[in-house]
Amino acid sequence: MGDVKCAFLVQRPQYKGETSRLALTHALAYQTVEILLEDGDTVTPTLNFVGEGVLGLTKGQKAMEAYGITSTESHLKNCLLVDLDIYVCKEDLDRFGIKEDQLPDADEMGAEKKINVVPFSTIQKNMEEANHVLFF
Amino acid sequence: MKLGIFVSDYKIPVDTLDRLKGDDLGIILVLNGVYHATIKEAGKASDLLGKYSRVYALSEDLQTRGLTPEQVDSKVKVVDYAGLVDVIFNDFEKIAWL
Repeated sequence: MGDVKCAFLVQRPQYKGETSRLALTHALAYQTVEILLEDGDTVTPTLNFVGEGVLGLTKGQKAMEAYGITSTESHLKNCLLVDLDIYVCKEDLDRFGIKEDQLPDADEMGAEKKINVVPFSTIQKNMEEANHVLFF
Repeated sequence: MKLGIFVSDYKIPVDTLDRLKGDDLGIILVLNGVYHATIKEAGKASDLLGKYSRVYALSEDLQTRGLTPEQVDSKVKVVDYAGLVDVIFNDFEKIAWL
């Protein structure tokens, strides 16, 4: 099987429904999936935010206080902590007036990865290189 | 008709809101509808903000999304859950949810 690449695309804002949250939790699950694979087989996910999906990425989210659920921000930090590659469409950030410094990082948790703000062409490339493309 | 309309999405898939007429229409932004209060898409505030005499946004839904009071457009009054109950009972005769 070798390496199987999965591109998760989040195109809807968070919280109103479960859909976009599932992209994050599914992508995060790649680490636990590995215990079920044969030696040498791997799964490599990318998490890509486009369109309205970028709206749920700002830091300072208080979902636990208001809704009693883990915030998207926490999920993103956990993704960074396990070295998952996260890509956010620059054109869509610009369209909605969201600055790059509004995006969270996981430096305080010791993560080395950061969110990548990229042109849509990079996200398109991630999709082309993936064995499976999953839209949320 | 004093109608209060809950808007819970940023992109609204129906055109009902555009077709409603009346001086006493009000919008209550909740869930992902609160992005109308803060996002300036292509540098322009949401069209909803200029159309209705009263626009409210739920503070808990703003906070959940990491949106601060400073980001909220001046046309929008931010209310918490208790304030929202007052709005529903005191400001409108009817309530609808889109």
